[in-house]
Amino acid sequence: MTRLALQRLTKTYPGAGQAAVHGLDLEVESGSLTALLGPSGCGKTTTMKLIAGLIAPDAGEITLDGHPITGLPPERRGVAMVFQNPLLFPHLSIAGNVGFGLRMRGLPTAQIDSQVQAMLSRVRLDGLADRRPAQLSGGQQQRAALARALVLHPAVLLLDEPLSNLDPGLRDEMRQLIRALQQETGITTLVVTHDQAEAVALADRIALMFAGRLAQHAAPQDFYRRPATKAVSRFFGGVNFLPGRSAAGLHHSAIGPLTLPPDAPEGEQILTIRPEALRLGPGPNSRPARVTALAFLGTQTRISLSVAGVALEALTSPDQAQGLDEGAEVTVSVPPEAIWLLPPDA
Amino acid sequence: MTDRTRLALMLAPALLVLGGLFLTGLGLTLLRSFRYFPALGLTKPDLAAYAAILTAPGFLRSLGLSLWIATASTLIAAALALAAALLLRQAFPGRAVISFLIHLNLTIPHIVGAIGILYLFSQSGAFARLAHAAGLIIGPQDFPALTHDPFAIGIILLYVWKELPFITLVLLANLQSLGEDHEATARTLGATRWQAFRHVLLPLLMPGLLSASALVFAFAFGAYEVPLVLGAHAPKALPVLAWQAYTNPDLATRPEAMAMAIVIAGIGLALLALYARAFRIDHAR
Amino acid sequence: MRARRLQSLAALALAGWLVLPLLPLAIWSVAHGWRFPDLLPQAWTTKAWSYALSDTAGVLNSFGLTTLIATATTLLAALVGVPAGRAIGLHSFPGKRLVLILLLAPAILPGLATVFGLHGLFLRLGLTGTLAGVILAHLVPVLPYMTLVMAAVFSRFDPAIEHQARSLGATPVQTFRFVTLPAILPGLLTASLFAFLVSWSQYLLTLAIGGGRVQTLPLLLYSFVAAGRNDVTAAIALLYLLPGLVILAITARQITGRSAALTEGLRP
Repeated sequence: MTRLALQRLTKTYPGAGQAAVHGLDLEVESGSLTALLGPSGCGKTTTMKLIAGLIAPDAGEITLDGHPITGLPPERRGVAMVFQNPLLFPHLSIAGNVGFGLRMRGLPTAQIDSQVQAMLSRVRLDGLADRRPAQLSGGQQQRAALARALVLHPAVLLLDEPLSNLDPGLRDEMRQLIRALQQETGITTLVVTHDQAEAVALADRIALMFAGRLAQHAAPQDFYRRPATKAVSRFFGGVNFLPGRSAAGLHHSAIGPLTLPPDAPEGEQILTIRPEALRLGPGPNSRPARVTALAFLGTQTRISLSVAGVALEALTSPDQAQGLDEGAEVTVSVPPEAIWLLPPDA
Repeated sequence: MTDRTRLALMLAPALLVLGGLFLTGLGLTLLRSFRYFPALGLTKPDLAAYAAILTAPGFLRSLGLSLWIATASTLIAAALALAAALLLRQAFPGRAVISFLIHLNLTIPHIVGAIGILYLFSQSGAFARLAHAAGLIIGPQDFPALTHDPFAIGIILLYVWKELPFITLVLLANLQSLGEDHEATARTLGATRWQAFRHVLLPLLMPGLLSASALVFAFAFGAYEVPLVLGAHAPKALPVLAWQAYTNPDLATRPEAMAMAIVIAGIGLALLALYARAFRIDHAR
Repeated sequence: MRARRLQSLAALALAGWLVLPLLPLAIWSVAHGWRFPDLLPQAWTTKAWSYALSDTAGVLNSFGLTTLIATATTLLAALVGVPAGRAIGLHSFPGKRLVLILLLAPAILPGLATVFGLHGLFLRLGLTGTLAGVILAHLVPVLPYMTLVMAAVFSRFDPAIEHQARSLGATPVQTFRFVTLPAILPGLLTASLFAFLVSWSQYLLTLAIGGGRVQTLPLLLYSFVAAGRNDVTAAIALLYLLPGLVILAITARQITGRSAALTEGLRP
């Protein structure tokens, strides 16, 4: 149970125009499963490598429970990393792989063997101990790589895109295994991913990064209900943005004044509402709208609307969209409790 | 035309050429080594030629010398190449120059290198003259015999010079395709730099290193022109001895030359087997 | 940092070692009277070079002959090796392992293993002492090299683009000319240049099959070594390096391709 803290972490690759990681401050609570999320190039993999000690930062500190590890080589940090490609050592058996770290520590063979066996059972790879990595399926290799890191009881576990190489069918299984193992062992775990759906399903907390900086660090629900900026909202599928100004409990934008929830701040703000929260039919803050397009998505229907010339989007169940056609005139309602205000574009 | 026929047609010319030239040449050598020479009236194969060479001290000494040359050259070249490949793995100022020199070395025929080594290390060569200038020797005969010597030092120096770049390139290509992630993984699992090298990188490099070394050994063992330029008169390196036996006007030595060639072929085949095994290990991954 | 200093020292040593044997050759080729214990020649002269390049020395003839042999062998090897390389690189078939061994064997086994038998065979066929005989003999080490490198080139080739071309209306010939050939050309070029070098550096094979009638440059070079004429030897040796330098310049842009070609198992 270790608290990981990153302070003002900065890293610029030689020859690059801008910093890969810029003054990153992040606290990962002890025992949590945190997702490090962001589009490619946002600096999340660099951050992971900095924590593992595979590259050195230009500035900043990394501490475990307050003790700095910034100057330590990778093998002395107590940080175990599982790469995106399972990277099991091809020349060792599965048992040899899983026991590798223990062997490097110089533990006696009997002890290594028993710990390896126990861990292999835990990840349901019994009986495969003597096989070579090439003989295992992708999912099994992934589990072996996980076992190899966990058997060391590291202070911090880093997983680099653990699910992206797996078939969709396997992802769920693997996700459950990771969550179960993490909760069982209580090891502070950081998972890097570019897929927000994956992050939401997997993690207790999400740290979202854009362009080398931390954009928001919160529970998954907060990224939908209370995104910090328009960019954050966008990343999580937010599409309805109404720039304007709030005063006296009302927000004035291109579609007119909308009643805000109580205690809403005032000033220049962008009003946003999740497409799934936009209601069809009468209700508070209602407006006339015209349906401009309909897209059946299987379990939902996406309805593109034009409200006073502004394009908005709603997501409803297919039943609710029954009978609607392009060009239909409808009423939409913007429930105040679903409204969220964002700072204006930088 | 079926796929099978098309495949056969694509392979046929190459197989014909190799079968017709290589296999026939090898087969003929084998036959002759058993003293099967219909043209000379010898129609009963026997092992007389092999008995002759195995009892003649000259052959065994030459065989020993050639094995020594090949072993020493390969071990030294392989060890230095490993170090060189690790050095050249990361970028540093001047790496491009060394890369150029390595590729240049590959295009230089062995005989040119041998002549260069001769002019460097002979008793009247560059190093001898430097030793004289430093006051260490008086005349050429005082300089140790490094060429045309019984330990084949000059020959070994040439092979190390010529094969080091080749093995280095093989290792560098392997290092490039392996990437750095294996060692990085090992480090995060608690291995020190040295442990990561010894337990992870080195085993992964072994197949490439072994197969390259097999090639080097075969060449150092069986090449003719290098001991021709740098070798002593006695004992002769095996290829030189074999050629001498073949061109001897006394036809009786012909089968002995063939027998020597078969011994050389035998060692070559053993190396081929080693090479094939090393490759199989690699491809099984 | 100490490690950095050690690294620079090692790099310097490596570079020096690689260049070393070429230095006395360069100096000898322009030396006039360079006896022990002089560190540098008494005088400099271009006599060795002008002699080497003159008609009497026969060097230029030999250079041309060696080039001719190497070119012919390479062309033949390409003609035969490209289809074979394709078969190996793109298909699996029963007996493939055997075919690969048959290809590797001439490259690994020392030439001596087969040259005596080959000489006997060519004697029977009337090919000894002939240019054609030498060219054919050179195929033994050159063809496997060409085939295996082309096999590697083809293994990285996706035949789907040929199917695509056919479905767009191209005939097999057009497909080869406009789609396949351009795709394999860089690899083929590299393979050919190094096949050329394999033939260029053959010694014993030419000696045995050519029987002294076909005097390629390395054989001529050795005769000057044996004669003790260091200056002319050095000049000829440096001339002998020329095609290698040209090839180096041509393939310089494909440095990784070259390394890859070599690691497919063989070398000059």
